[in-house]
Amino acid sequence: MKYLLGSAIILLCLVCAKLLVYFLNTHFPAPLLAMLFLLILLLTGLVKEHHIKPTASPILNIMPIFFIPAGVGFIEHLELIRSHWVFLVSVVIFVPMTTLLLLSNVIAFFKGKENND
Amino acid sequence: MIEHLAMSLASLSFTLWWLSIPCTIALFLALRVINQRMDNPIIKSLTNPVFLSISFIGVLLVSLNLSYAKFASHSQILSWLLEPAIVALALPLYQQFAHVRRNFLLIIGACCLGIINATFVAFILSVIFNAPAQLSASVAALSVTTPISLIVTDSLGGINSLAAALVIFIGLLGALFGFILFKLAKIYNVEAQGVAMGTACHAIGTAAALAENPKAGAFSSVAMALSALLTAIIVPLLYPFLVNNLL
Repeated sequence: MKYLLGSAIILLCLVCAKLLVYFLNTHFPAPLLAMLFLLILLLTGLVKEHHIKPTASPILNIMPIFFIPAGVGFIEHLELIRSHWVFLVSVVIFVPMTTLLLLSNVIAFFKGKENND
Repeated sequence: MIEHLAMSLASLSFTLWWLSIPCTIALFLALRVINQRMDNPIIKSLTNPVFLSISFIGVLLVSLNLSYAKFASHSQILSWLLEPAIVALALPLYQQFAHVRRNFLLIIGACCLGIINATFVAFILSVIFNAPAQLSASVAALSVTTPISLIVTDSLGGINSLAAALVIFIGLLGALFGFILFKLAKIYNVEAQGVAMGTACHAIGTAAALAENPKAGAFSSVAMALSALLTAIIVPLLYPFLVNNLL
């Protein structure tokens, strides 16, 4: 029973988001919109944490399994990866490096550089 | 005789494909148990179970010359379950909201800045290297947890599997070198370290931050949850804007 309520709430959010995306004819990913719906329901208190926790916690625990098949899809694009590997390597290096430096400096600007633990 | 053998081989391979799902699940769970036993933080990030499962299955399919389409169609159920799982991400997001109330604006602002920076840097690099549109869409949403990256990349017309692999590599690099970078930049504020790690390097970076300092880990998981939400809102708007106005 406790699983049913949580699943129903999650699936209802997903269906509403899919319908909205379909009727508004946008490219916005429906699951993300559904996540926003559920977050708003939680923040407004219409849905309580204990309603969805029994369903959400086990799903989140094994979530990585759900994107492994999609991740394996890279083998379909080996040629593309091989011909653009310099670009891909520089993305993997520069994107996290610039983001890490920028953000840590911005927060340190407001909060100071020293250890505040 | 030979015909008969070939037929039974074909039916055997047909049956074997149904092992896709149980094998994927077993492989991941086994690798996760091994990963959880690791004490050394560097080895722990290198033995990331998602990364190892994807590379293991990928190498297996390529070396045995098996078709990805067949594997994908037989493991379809797993991919379908990704959608409700993303909806369930609202729960940790909601739980983290309580922790950020005090520094809400600063952390939200930093996350937005980080996401815009990641998309912008990736876009500039794709202009410099003259990358095809499909590739530049694949690198637009990388500073976020893998499921969100998959789905945003899909909506931008990129290759989502490539994005997933890059997201994991970015997390690994951040986990391995993030704190060295902070030392070089002389930033010892754990709040700054945590927020930067969570935004730039999602779950793998958060695990590394948690190993370094519990408070940095807490800020990192807050920033990770927020940047999942903000990436979903910002990148689908920002990327078309960059493409239309800068190209």
